[in-house]
Amino acid sequence: MFLAHVNSLQASIFSSLAVVSLLLTFVMLGSHWLRNYVYAFAVQSWLIAALSAAVGYFAGYPELYVIAALTALFRGLALPYLLMRILTRLNVKRELHAALQPSSSLVLGALLVMFAFIIANHMNRQSLLSARVVIMALTIMLSMKFIGFLMLAVRDEAVSQILGLLVLENGIFLGSQILVPGMPLLIEIVILFDLLIVVACFGMLVRFLVVHAGTTSSRELNRLVG
Amino acid sequence: MILSNAVLQILQVGCVLLLAPLLQGFILKAEERVQRSCGPSIFQPYRDLWKLFHKQSVVPESASWIYLSAPIVAFTAMLIVPILIPVLTDRPLPLSDMGDMLGGGMILTLGSFAIILAGLDSGNVYGGIGSSRAVMLAILAEPTLILVLVGISLLAKAMLPFVVNHLLLGSLSVYWSPAHLFLILAFFTLLLVETDRLPIHSSTHLEIYMIDEARILEYSGPLLALLKWASMMKQFILYTIFCNVFLLPWGLSQLGGPLGQLGSAGSLLLKFLLVALVVIVVETVQSRLRFYRYQEPLAAGFLFAVLAIVSSQLL
Amino acid sequence: MIRDLLILLFGAPLAAIVLSFALRRPRLSEYATVIAAVIDLGVSIPLLAHVVRGPVVLAHSYLQVDALGGWVILCVSIVYTFASIYAVGYMRLLNEEERLPLFYGLFSGFAFTMLAACIVNNVGVFWIAIELTTLVSTFLVGFEREAESTEAAWKYIVVVSGGISLALLGTVLFYWGGSLVLGPSYAMTWAALHQSAPSVYPPLLLVSFLLVLVGYGTKAGLAPMHTWLPDAHSESPAPVSAMLSGALLNASMLGIARFLGVVNGTTISRFAHSAVVGFGIFSFVIATLFIVRQTGIKRLMAYSSVEHIGVQALGLGFGGALGVAGALYHMLNHSLNKSLMFFGAGNAMRAYGTKEISGIRHVLKTFPVSGTLWLLGALGIAGAPPFALFQSEFTILRAGIGGRYRWAVIVFGVFLVIVFIAFLSHFRAMYFDEDPRRGSTRISGTLWRTVPMWLAFLPLLVLGVWWPHALWDLFTEISKQVLGGMP
Repeated sequence: MFLAHVNSLQASIFSSLAVVSLLLTFVMLGSHWLRNYVYAFAVQSWLIAALSAAVGYFAGYPELYVIAALTALFRGLALPYLLMRILTRLNVKRELHAALQPSSSLVLGALLVMFAFIIANHMNRQSLLSARVVIMALTIMLSMKFIGFLMLAVRDEAVSQILGLLVLENGIFLGSQILVPGMPLLIEIVILFDLLIVVACFGMLVRFLVVHAGTTSSRELNRLVG
Repeated sequence: MILSNAVLQILQVGCVLLLAPLLQGFILKAEERVQRSCGPSIFQPYRDLWKLFHKQSVVPESASWIYLSAPIVAFTAMLIVPILIPVLTDRPLPLSDMGDMLGGGMILTLGSFAIILAGLDSGNVYGGIGSSRAVMLAILAEPTLILVLVGISLLAKAMLPFVVNHLLLGSLSVYWSPAHLFLILAFFTLLLVETDRLPIHSSTHLEIYMIDEARILEYSGPLLALLKWASMMKQFILYTIFCNVFLLPWGLSQLGGPLGQLGSAGSLLLKFLLVALVVIVVETVQSRLRFYRYQEPLAAGFLFAVLAIVSSQLL
Repeated sequence: MIRDLLILLFGAPLAAIVLSFALRRPRLSEYATVIAAVIDLGVSIPLLAHVVRGPVVLAHSYLQVDALGGWVILCVSIVYTFASIYAVGYMRLLNEEERLPLFYGLFSGFAFTMLAACIVNNVGVFWIAIELTTLVSTFLVGFEREAESTEAAWKYIVVVSGGISLALLGTVLFYWGGSLVLGPSYAMTWAALHQSAPSVYPPLLLVSFLLVLVGYGTKAGLAPMHTWLPDAHSESPAPVSAMLSGALLNASMLGIARFLGVVNGTTISRFAHSAVVGFGIFSFVIATLFIVRQTGIKRLMAYSSVEHIGVQALGLGFGGALGVAGALYHMLNHSLNKSLMFFGAGNAMRAYGTKEISGIRHVLKTFPVSGTLWLLGALGIAGAPPFALFQSEFTILRAGIGGRYRWAVIVFGVFLVIVFIAFLSHFRAMYFDEDPRRGSTRISGTLWRTVPMWLAFLPLLVLGVWWPHALWDLFTEISKQVLGGMP
């Protein structure tokens, strides 16, 4: 299996790409400006595309080049473009952190990374491969999930919540590139397109929110209770 | 001709002592030049120190022995730390076994602590403000500092800065590993905070924003000179640790000859030039943060340190 | 033969979608949808009969029709038919003539995606189909462009997308676990998962299963992930609510059932079953508590859906032939009964102009016939005999009381009584309380709105007194094939 024979150069390339992606998630957690979120997401998608290409090169899956190109195109260009359009139309600039200050979110995010590391270690102990790359991939995948949920939970603005969902998906994608590069091509392509449709739907919904509900901040969407 | 260990040791301390004001002068001038004004000469801090040593000292009535001893404690602490870290030479000198990195960090903090006490000592309002704010910054920054030191120890499997230096010199893959890069970023954040650069900028002359300046508001004359010199030396020491242990471990003398020492000092200044330029650029593009937002850059530093430790375990 | 049936099954809604969007004529869209739904219902019965003997794999093993999938297709088709007939009468009351084709196009699209989810063989494509159902139904939920509907649609899509991303993670982890057994690249069919599950490292398998349970449980409405459900089901138009409650929740339970079957033979089977039972009981308790203090009529129905999904989860969790049979029978009965309830609620809302229970009084004066049906349906959904839900709940109780989950059965029984009292007290208020101030207006389209209620009610009554032997055999087949349970 590919992961059992990873040498140190490959391991460090994968690790650096994955870790910098995780870092960009923290940029999203800690920043005040919604534009920065979108930029961080775009760069993150590019890095994951590069990771995909690297895995394809080293493990010998040429179809991953196609996935990498599509990821860079759709997740790296089309999605950020759509999100920026939503942002400019919404005319919001800042995220008001009512629930959790950015600094506390950063610290909480760091703790979540440690928690993800413990889980990844436990899931992998003594069993399959003690390849560090596997633990790292699992850790980063799980921590991006946790941080994505953190963003979904404590953020008010609709765009931040969309970005939280996209970070969740990015995390899964990153993990799947390293852990299961042989996953059938069809699934990966369809998931990519699916994401595009999801964001398009979100864009429409956000417009409806502004027009009919008058606000996009979840804190103010509280008519339905009980 | 190889110089003896005692001479090398003295040279190290002397280098820190004498070159610290030069670094401060350079930073101040460069800051001004970046903003298109002329700026003071780079030797101005020397002249300031000279002037202060020749002035009369005015002691407030409510001051106690802490007031008189704090500058001396701080100054001495700053003289001890260069013995423990690689300043000029590559190999550990005999007295550097006195303390490892954690010990060096503690002695630095001891100096700050003495000055904090001095700020409270005379009962001055501004002293109180300065001390409490300085303590708050210390509370936010200390965990990061400890984690950085832990991280670098995990990486090098030893707590001595010299071992770290050799490791980074020898192995390129460790140098470029994510753990090391994160540690550099974390320590850079700490550097900005501890040397009073924006976005925290505690050495402003406006009383309401003061942090470090407020602690020493009561001092004058030679005691003030000692305090200022101590803070300049602290800056120099932090830069030394940053360059020689983390970022640019090259350029240290290996054999110990006198020409080597000169060359080493020169390369030290060159490295500091680079780091200072980066610091100045970072400072110029930012504006000052509100006090309650100081946690943000420090939380980012904490985050980097945690990520560094996790990465060091994963790779 | 199967191929032709499948082409009809999917071609009919597809034709309805195309006609609705292309021609944009309200009447045409209405009739096209109804016809498509009836065709689907007609096709699903022979389809089910055909696959009882064994699963049929088609299209290079991308599609697989087995007994469980066939059963869910039947339930979905039934609700699709009833809801589309009801929608003709209901949607005309909304005064949105030019947007009606959009509605019917989305409606048929919704049915299409749910049917597709039942027959895909690939776990990843199953996830994609479920995601597509979310996307299509969001716009249905937010169809009435009110502030509340938009808010409900937003909450729906955010919560459910977040939830099923967990299911995606679980799927990827399942695939990874399998890849260590079957090789790095293999088609991710249900059969492949069954094959590899016993050899996967147990903690990894457990984490994957729990992720999938929570993920698809969000979509199914298990507590505590049910928070989107009351909002979405109460703010959408009544036919859409019926589809959401009756069909979509079943399709999500299909996913949970299949994954439960995958882990059934492995070492974590006990824990997995306990987890499902735990979620089921928790949903039941939470739903009961919210039903007691409910003030909105459609939210009341929505919490009742949460309760019944909890019952289905209990049935699946108890396991064995009895538990599975009860859960599957419950799927059908709940679809019938909940459609009936939502249709009645829709009528009441339109006539009285309010969603509050306190605003609806003297229902029998306004709706003599359909009001009676609604009241009897309320009796049924609270679990009383001689209606069908009593049969399935009783079966599930029997399944649970013999085994390890006696505590769950006791809690179940106690809260069942509480739900009965609470639910019917709301209805008592609506039917028998004297309040001369509450008036109602007459609304049109009576036949369109009443016929589906009859259509839903009669099978409910029949199935309550007679459990066909054919169905019992079907459930045993399903239990053996998919879930590997012992009789």
